[in-house]
Amino acid sequence: MAAVAATAATKGNGGGSGRAGAGEGGGTRKRKGPGPVATAYLVIYNVVMTAGWLVIAVGLVRAYLAKGSYHSLYYSIEKPLKFFQTGALLEILHCAIGIVPSSVVLTSFQVMSRVFLIWAVTHSVKEVQSEDSVLLFVIAWTITEIIRYSFYTFSLLNHLPYIIKWARYTLFIVLYPMGVTGELLTIYAALPFVRQAGLYSISLPNKYNFSFDYYTFLILVMISYIPLFPQLYFHMIHQRRKILSRTEEHKKFD
Amino acid sequence: MRKMVEILDAKTREKLCFLDKVEPQATIAEIKNLFTKTHPQWYPARQSLRLDPKGKSLKDEDVLQKLPVGTTATLFFRDLGAQISWVTVFLTEYAGPLFIYLLFYFRVPFIYGHKYDFTSSRHTVVHLACICHSSHYVKRLLETLFVHRFSHGTMPLRNIFKNCTYYWGFAAWMAYYINHPLYTPPTYGAQQVKLALTIFVICQLGNFSIHMALRDLRPAGSKTRKIPYPTKNPFTWLFLLVSCPNYTYEVGSWIGFAIMTQCVPVALFSLVGFTQMTIWAKGKHRSYLKEFRDYPPLRMPIIPFLL
Repeated sequence: MAAVAATAATKGNGGGSGRAGAGEGGGTRKRKGPGPVATAYLVIYNVVMTAGWLVIAVGLVRAYLAKGSYHSLYYSIEKPLKFFQTGALLEILHCAIGIVPSSVVLTSFQVMSRVFLIWAVTHSVKEVQSEDSVLLFVIAWTITEIIRYSFYTFSLLNHLPYIIKWARYTLFIVLYPMGVTGELLTIYAALPFVRQAGLYSISLPNKYNFSFDYYTFLILVMISYIPLFPQLYFHMIHQRRKILSRTEEHKKFD
Repeated sequence: MRKMVEILDAKTREKLCFLDKVEPQATIAEIKNLFTKTHPQWYPARQSLRLDPKGKSLKDEDVLQKLPVGTTATLFFRDLGAQISWVTVFLTEYAGPLFIYLLFYFRVPFIYGHKYDFTSSRHTVVHLACICHSSHYVKRLLETLFVHRFSHGTMPLRNIFKNCTYYWGFAAWMAYYINHPLYTPPTYGAQQVKLALTIFVICQLGNFSIHMALRDLRPAGSKTRKIPYPTKNPFTWLFLLVSCPNYTYEVGSWIGFAIMTQCVPVALFSLVGFTQMTIWAKGKHRSYLKEFRDYPPLRMPIIPFLL
């Protein structure tokens, strides 16, 4: 879900004004757009994030070349991955203070699901860090984020190359299922270790009269992908049809 | 001078209905009834009629003559979807928790281990909690039947599923722990329970007082809106400081119940409820300010001086 949601409904990071990149669901509403200071800040934010995910991409490639295999590459990009993915929490703030026209709820959901996978699953259950499924979602996220943040950067500067828009609304077709597969396999791999260690679980009796079984919780999370993934996926497909066909029409009149 | 009314679909502009010889003093409610005759699947409660396809809905009491229309009035119709009455929703969503909590209290089979079936807790606070929780929902049911005066008769049908999931789900979650054989009574014992119970009872009385005061503001069958003011009942003096003291008291009741049971799910339920009621209180406060120029400036939406 983290892979899917990240590209889905956000108009995020200031890319809303003007035709270029707009229309993530709003259509032809005239948005005020962020002021000059906010725009400058957002451009810097998005450039930094693009650079950060490029660092992760390069790190993956270099580690692959050095090791000669694609196993256990997580360790070579663990720190920048944690840093830049967690940094995305700022995007919730951007929506909350209004410099980005996305819904706080939707953005929170997508960022928190990413942060959850990074910290509450991959970081917390060390045994899954060498799983290939981790590489699967890391690659999906990396490519998605590089495109997404450059998309926002260019949109803010009102100069969006068609190739970026095309990439953003096309590559998800493969990247979403890839990311979701990686995420689900990783959670699944973590299950036995969570059960064994009683990780993040609390049982009765205790003075707070509360219990929590993280193992069951993870299973429920996996089940939640069933209704959520198709919805987000088909929403993006619908968006793709709307946005890419609109650009074709405009090109005709140029 | 009779008027003519044409009703168009707000989205497709398709002409749905043409009414001629409509009395100029006819209300929107009457027009809705006429429209239902030609389209019986759209009963009045699910009709939204407006002057502008994207504009606000006209009220049932609006009179045709007073609207900015010519001899032929063009109204735009939007289907609000299947509707259900507020009373039905309230009764269903409140009856659930009452019943469900008792299932856990009596330790009906298949909830806890079989050796606990139909056993009773040895903690006084557990029995007290059952009385508080049950009387709270009985109060709500009685208020729905005899006290509340609703400005809208209906709400969208899907709300009943949403609302019942919320109320019934949380009731089951709380009841599971409070009535669990391994329940741990409050850390500070009887003192804590006594204090919490006092808070709970005061807030329940307060909440009820506010409901009565709001009912008395509005005569039966009318939809008038007036600024609520403190009455002789001291519980209503909270109106001096907040717009929605009923919500303030409700949050207080649940905080009391949380302290009484010392149970995290109860605290979470209180928190979620508080969040929702704050949103409603802010909305209500805003509409009071918009509607009444002389609205008391000292009042905050839900928490005195703060929120």
